[in-house]
Amino acid sequence: MFTHTPLRLTALSLLAIGSLAYAFVAGFFGLEILAEIAILAILVIALDLVAGFGGMVSLCHGALLGVGAYAFTVAANAAGLSAFPAMVLAVALSAGLAFVIGAICARSIGIYFIMATLAFGQMAYSFVFQSPLFGGDDGLSGAPRPDLSAIGIDLTDSRAFAIYAIAMVALTYLVAAATLRSGLGRSLIGLHHNEKRLRALGLTVWRAKATAFAISGALAGLAGCLAAQHTQYISPGLLSWTVSGEALVVVILGGLGTLVGPIVGAVLFVVLKHEISALTPYWHAIVGMILIAVVMSRANGVFGFVEARMAARKPKPVLQKADADA
Amino acid sequence: MTTDLGFWVLQTLNALQLSMLLFLLSVGLTVIFGLMHFVNLAHGSLYAFGAYMAASLAGVLGYWGGFFLAPLAVAALGAVLYFTLIRSQRRAGPMAQVLITFGLIFVAVDATRLIWGDLPIGIAVPAVFEGQLALLGVEYPIYRLFIIALGLAVLAALTLVLTRTQVGAMIRAGVDNDQMAACLGINVERMFFLVFVVGCALAGLAGAVAAPVLSVTPDMGLQILIPTLIVIVIGGLGSLKGAVAGSLIFGFVQTFGAVLMPTFNSVLIYALLAAVLVIRPEGLLPAKG
Repeated sequence: MFTHTPLRLTALSLLAIGSLAYAFVAGFFGLEILAEIAILAILVIALDLVAGFGGMVSLCHGALLGVGAYAFTVAANAAGLSAFPAMVLAVALSAGLAFVIGAICARSIGIYFIMATLAFGQMAYSFVFQSPLFGGDDGLSGAPRPDLSAIGIDLTDSRAFAIYAIAMVALTYLVAAATLRSGLGRSLIGLHHNEKRLRALGLTVWRAKATAFAISGALAGLAGCLAAQHTQYISPGLLSWTVSGEALVVVILGGLGTLVGPIVGAVLFVVLKHEISALTPYWHAIVGMILIAVVMSRANGVFGFVEARMAARKPKPVLQKADADA
Repeated sequence: MTTDLGFWVLQTLNALQLSMLLFLLSVGLTVIFGLMHFVNLAHGSLYAFGAYMAASLAGVLGYWGGFFLAPLAVAALGAVLYFTLIRSQRRAGPMAQVLITFGLIFVAVDATRLIWGDLPIGIAVPAVFEGQLALLGVEYPIYRLFIIALGLAVLAALTLVLTRTQVGAMIRAGVDNDQMAACLGINVERMFFLVFVVGCALAGLAGAVAAPVLSVTPDMGLQILIPTLIVIVIGGLGSLKGAVAGSLIFGFVQTFGAVLMPTFNSVLIYALLAAVLVIRPEGLLPAKG
């Protein structure tokens, strides 16, 4: 099962302290990047939950994020809900959609699962792209940020928004870790290892997969709400499969199935993107080469690599067991 | 409009033309998957590379120079990829393959932008195929009829090779059970290489014939990738018949969907794919019965 090794706890604390400290000293541009990292981190934690632990490599998480973003914006603007009820609605919608997708795709494995999720993601993308209700190609603008003036916080300020986004990452992480430690999470990891055995033990496989996928979808929907609040403009591009592909890249760069690694990956990815794109317009090529190098090196991303090295230095049976599960 | 025979003829020809283009792309991808269990997301990039090579060579050697040399150039690129990346990842599992070839897409898109720039490139239809042909009461561009004919010719040639020759029998044996085929003395590794390179050449050919019809842009490989994947998943991974069936289904659903029910058009094909995956997860005509 998923355990918090000392290394993971150290990395988490460093990430939390580092991001909060940076949130208090950074200028406007730095804060925007911080919010971008936080939103990506939520999405990749959601993806790692199903891909890393359940072996369900999804190419529809971009679409789930987009559905969250659109549902939030429509609920807040057209239906006139205030921000928090609209967020709850959007997260519930993403979760419901993810449950249906997860239930339908539960029978497919490997490349078929990837293709099936890709199909559903593109279906959502085409629907939003073509539907006049959602502004089609032009997208929608004017998503509100939550009003926390009652407790003296003004989220239109980018510093407050960045801290709020970091708090949401923490919430996401706690939900994901709690899911993995629950009975459902153990079933999910078991399914990844040996589906037949769990079926024989009496687990309703499709329901376990669909529920895990729904939780992951809810988190992706939350990322979508934050994305809509952050830029206050959304376009169908959010739902495109390349967003899902990029999220998968981030998970791999950070370390699949470590839950902490993808957050590290999100930090590296966004910072690299901004650093490299300042130097050359061809930053995608650099990212592509880094990705190929990481996958060919057979290391489990940056964080997975560090974990493996630490485990090799102190060969304790407990650590190795945790590694095998992750 | 729908009672007019000309309308149906015209749309059928459009659908056939799209189907044949997709067939050229998907047949290589699907046989590579069937034989090697390798998922090559960069297949669309090879198609884009073929289109760019054809466009560049057409400027120097004329259309036919590009038409014949572009597939060779793409095949050469495929050989390089095979020895640098593909061979070592053969047994790495679908996840690593998807990621590596996804990274390759990133590299390929930027490489084409770097070499050929961001602006679309157009090339002229060859003089032989200029103009229109009257067919059952409709005027149809001759070049598009040429694409249909080319697709059918490739289909006939591949069917002949796969069902009537020894190489074809070896490939079918490899798709069915590669370990057993290797035990029977077939050099499966060399066959993989051959199939991969031929698949790349066909993708390049598709790019070369598509270049005069579509504009040649850096993201054309990415745009064609999803339709190609849909075709091979609907048809069934690894089978030639599946690639034909998938291409025809995609071409006709897409073309007639666009004119008969424009509001649902783009969702239609994905809904069809989802339905196929639910009812027959292995595709309609999988390679292994």
